Amino acid sequence: MALLEVDDLSVTYSPRDGTPVRAVDGVSFEIADGEFVGLLGESGSGKSTLGNAILRLLDKPAAVSGGSVRFDGVAVTSASEEEIRPLRWAKISTVFQSSMNSLNPVITIGAQFADTFAAHGREGDPATLLDLVSLDADVLRRYPHELSGGMKQRVALALALALEPKFVLLDEPTTGLDVVVQHNILQRLRELQSQLGFAVLFISHDLGTVMEMADRVMVMYAGELVEDQPARAMMSAQLHPYTQGLLGSYADPRATEISVDYIPGRPPDLSRPQVGCRFAARCPVAIDDCSTQHPQLLPAGAGTARCLLVERAGLVDARRARSFVAVRAEAPAVDPVLTVTDAAKEYRGKRAVDGVSFELRPGQVTALVGQSGSGKTTIARLVTGVERPTSGSVTFTGGVDVGSLRGRKLRAYRRHTQLVFQDPFAALNPTRTPAYALSRPLQNHLGLSKAQARTRAGELLETVGLHPASQYLDKLPHQLSGGQRQRVVIARALAPEPRILVADEPISMLDVSIRAEILELLDNLVRTRQLGMLYITHDLLSARLLADEVLVLNEGQVVERGRTLQVIQNAQATYTQELLDAIPNPVTRS
Amino acid sequence: MTTSLPIQPVDTEQAEVAAVEAARATKVPGWFVILWRNRKCRIGLVMLAVFVFVALLAPVLAPYAPRDNSFTASVGPNGSNWLGTTAQGEDVLSQLVYGARTSLLVGLAAGTLSTVIGLAVGLTAGYLRGLVDEVLSFFINLALVVPVLPLMITLAAYAPVKGLWLIIFVISITGWAYGARLKRSQIITLRTRDYITAAKFAGDSTARIIVREILPNMTSLVVVGFMGACLGAIGGEAGLAFLGLGDPTTTSWGTMLNQANTGGAMLTGQWAWLIAPGVAFAGLMTALTLINFGVDALSNPHLRED
Amino acid sequence: MRYFLRRAGFFLATLWAAITLNFLIPRLQPGDPAEAIVSRLGGQSQAIDPAQVESIRKMLGTPDGNLLTQYGDYLAAVARGDFGISYTYFPYSVTHMIGQGLPWTLILVGVTQVVSFVAGTLLGAWAAYRRNSRVDSVITLGSTFVGTLPFFWLALVLIYVFAITLNWFPTGGGYGGGSDPGWNWLFFSDAFQHSILPAVSLLIVGPIGWIIGMRNNMVQTLGEDYARLARAKGLPRRRVALTYGARIAVLPNVTGFAIALGGILGGTVLVESIFNYPGLGRMMLEAVSNRDYPLMQALFLFITVGVLIANLLADLLYGVLDPRVRREEAG
Repeated sequence: MALLEVDDLSVTYSPRDGTPVRAVDGVSFEIADGEFVGLLGESGSGKSTLGNAILRLLDKPAAVSGGSVRFDGVAVTSASEEEIRPLRWAKISTVFQSSMNSLNPVITIGAQFADTFAAHGREGDPATLLDLVSLDADVLRRYPHELSGGMKQRVALALALALEPKFVLLDEPTTGLDVVVQHNILQRLRELQSQLGFAVLFISHDLGTVMEMADRVMVMYAGELVEDQPARAMMSAQLHPYTQGLLGSYADPRATEISVDYIPGRPPDLSRPQVGCRFAARCPVAIDDCSTQHPQLLPAGAGTARCLLVERAGLVDARRARSFVAVRAEAPAVDPVLTVTDAAKEYRGKRAVDGVSFELRPGQVTALVGQSGSGKTTIARLVTGVERPTSGSVTFTGGVDVGSLRGRKLRAYRRHTQLVFQDPFAALNPTRTPAYALSRPLQNHLGLSKAQARTRAGELLETVGLHPASQYLDKLPHQLSGGQRQRVVIARALAPEPRILVADEPISMLDVSIRAEILELLDNLVRTRQLGMLYITHDLLSARLLADEVLVLNEGQVVERGRTLQVIQNAQATYTQELLDAIPNPVTRS
Repeated sequence: MTTSLPIQPVDTEQAEVAAVEAARATKVPGWFVILWRNRKCRIGLVMLAVFVFVALLAPVLAPYAPRDNSFTASVGPNGSNWLGTTAQGEDVLSQLVYGARTSLLVGLAAGTLSTVIGLAVGLTAGYLRGLVDEVLSFFINLALVVPVLPLMITLAAYAPVKGLWLIIFVISITGWAYGARLKRSQIITLRTRDYITAAKFAGDSTARIIVREILPNMTSLVVVGFMGACLGAIGGEAGLAFLGLGDPTTTSWGTMLNQANTGGAMLTGQWAWLIAPGVAFAGLMTALTLINFGVDALSNPHLRED
Repeated sequence: MRYFLRRAGFFLATLWAAITLNFLIPRLQPGDPAEAIVSRLGGQSQAIDPAQVESIRKMLGTPDGNLLTQYGDYLAAVARGDFGISYTYFPYSVTHMIGQGLPWTLILVGVTQVVSFVAGTLLGAWAAYRRNSRVDSVITLGSTFVGTLPFFWLALVLIYVFAITLNWFPTGGGYGGGSDPGWNWLFFSDAFQHSILPAVSLLIVGPIGWIIGMRNNMVQTLGEDYARLARAKGLPRRRVALTYGARIAVLPNVTGFAIALGGILGGTVLVESIFNYPGLGRMMLEAVSNRDYPLMQALFLFITVGVLIANLLADLLYGVLDPRVRREEAG
């Protein structure tokens, strides 16, 4: 008998005024004692819902609509709350997705350990637990708001281990943390797991991390498991075309030639009945039967897979079906469109940016790489004229001093400097259509009439790959997928025909499977429209794919700069090394 | 007047999206469609419509003129005076019907006025921040803590003429602060959205950003605030009138209660004179509260029943 | 610490603003305010009492001085607690009269509002704890319905039923003819008897805001990650509801209490007037109907300052309850 047995589990959301959505559909798997299992899926795949069902924490309107969960012999899905309670935390604990909010804000950390012990009549030493996650014992006297995000996450992890559980469910435990912090916490987790021997279900959208951490990986798509294989086997031979696409989106940034895969399209709408394979519409190798026959999860390779082609042929190859190949010829020496010279910015006597110089050239991409707090966003604010440098200068072509622009002149400058935002959900007004959003810069900056603006807006949508434009012009943002929204954001940035594009982490909130697609779009636009682009990221791989030149920033200072490939291949600064190490690398893991 | 609304962040954007979507499906304004879908809200809207109907058609519906004192004083309900008469010999039912006019007028006028003041102050403070915000916030907090009814009483006591519009004015300038506070905190949340930055980069002016990008995303808050202000104003007028500080020449439910109290309705057993205005008042309050429920449930997903 | 300093600063600033507002209100009308008031008094049937003219002059400062000296005199008088002589209760001073009315209002309002807050918060928490159950429906629907009733009307109905028809309680007043105010048992039991109906009418409506506020806040906090984690930790349900739900949900209610006090005191004016209760509210109405401007102004100022003090206390309590504001300003 396995530790955790999930059998044909379905979870349905039945909102009072809406169609029911089967978020988890007939999922079966087992986890053995001490096993580290990864559960991989994109947003909306049902992975977190599955996690909540296992923990029996589903809230209305979600409810288990079929199947069962057994944990250590107890039927979790059918037992009463009082029967479950002794199981909770003593045997099965968890770390939530956003630990920022998973600690009680009005009682001390110590009290939150104490009530955990008290609830189970146990005794324990919180200081030792904190020591496990490299935190000082004085954290116990503090309140959550006095800790940094990374510290809260460590506290949550220590709390999860407090009663020495047999099983820990981790739901995106490091989302929202800096890469280096993320890397450290996960390393520590892996060490603790092998030391203490608890089983783990590690839920994540990040295939690289999952592959690096887990013994076995399950892949979820549109509510179903589509593949389940030992990590090592999956690495060398992915079965499902979806997994192949996901794995293809990773690459070693040090490689001289580099290409990454993406999977166009979006997951199906689960409020509608599903026929055939749910991935068929996005699958590059789908055959006719795929859209009519629903595949089963059958043994294949070293595990199981849900794919007709695998079922019939044993193996499919969907790799390199759609990929973005970064070709970086030696950039021609053209005059810069924007020059930043020895710029510094102080906030309350603290230097956020210190002595930074770079140039943006038409048709080329300059990447600023660093963690949050490294000063990269401040530099973006200097470039866009939102802030004026404390010393040094930002000069636009023709000798315009950007820092001194105000009012009408600043507005005129912004025609030439447009933004692409990080969060496609916040970047579009939820009550305004793409047609409206695009028409504003067209009317304001280019002086087009309303009708002309609409025509142009349609053309712009086509340019960013939203085809046919008429289908998108009058939609509301919430009717679009994250990738489509980001395309609209890019189209809006292109609308006033700018000279400079500032893109602040434009892909970090998107699903892994479509990131490369957006990068490819940005790459195309920069080269064909001769835009000077400032690309801000924490991710060296995407910088490697897109940028001609890279500046590595740490605490406001440039620690390393140069041609992207050179910087990455011979990183000198320890900070650059750390960033490189933090990139999860399923491809080169031995 | 003693009820306080909870102060918590609300997801007003979501409500507006629903409204915009609803407006696309039909030719009726989206807000109305959304409200109509909610059962509680629908009952409230129908009730309110009845009160508006009665108020508009008061001269037709009322059997007599409200100040016609040609009846036998202080008689209970009977065939010719369905709700009996006052101590001055006026028809209670006719006064009740005309009273609806006063309450609705005060609610509408004072509700609108204090919503406008609240919007202007709240939006300015929240959008501009800095020193302007500090100063305006101080006034908002000041207006919140000053005891409203004693202030109304003091202001009304000094006023040379006691007309209905004076009452409306007094109620408005004492009742705007709560709405201003809510709107301020909401705009502080909304103004940091990336789409506001995008609008700036698209060359939109500050005024246009506030009116076209921010306001449409907080309509539900404005509606809730307006309803709250109406409720407060109607209650405030009734309270002032009951204390004898209202306009003596206007017939309102408050003045009716005042006269019923001083005219000995309880001693003569003319209970209808006492009960009727209270029931009518409660009915109007219920209608507005029900509508508010619907709006609130829309913008606050946690309160949605599921 | 910064939080407490800020709150204290706000208290002082509002105190100053209230005192100044009180100074400005009578001067809002055009012309010489003292003259306007005296001439309005002259219109009444009684002859003008010299003491009254004197007290109006005192209230307004030297009428022929400029606004600034008037303001200075006024501030000095306020600092001394000197508000002149009451016309209605001649020859008693305004300060003396306020001293007479204060205990009545303080006890009636203090007791009913604290009980309302506690009861309302508990009921709201109970409704949230049993969300979507019958208890929840009864509490929320019931309080919504009662909340729509005008409460001065409720008070009238209470008098009609319990005082006039059933004759269980006196119709009004603070104490009966048989007892005299003093430290004796007869007076206290009599005053208690007289306070029941006013207190009940305040208690029917009082908890409603807190019920609805608490329920909605707690439904929200119980849906937050920390409450879900507490459930996952296997904490007993009651413990989750108390420490992870109610404990956090009560915070906005405490702020709400501070804000609502001004409105609550307005309500007492109505109650005291209906029950003819010898507190500050009824005194204010009497002052208004007798055109006793010094008494009215002093009462307005006094009530406002009382609200400000209560507000400060609620803010300080909030600071103690919420560790977050000790470092940063909330909201």
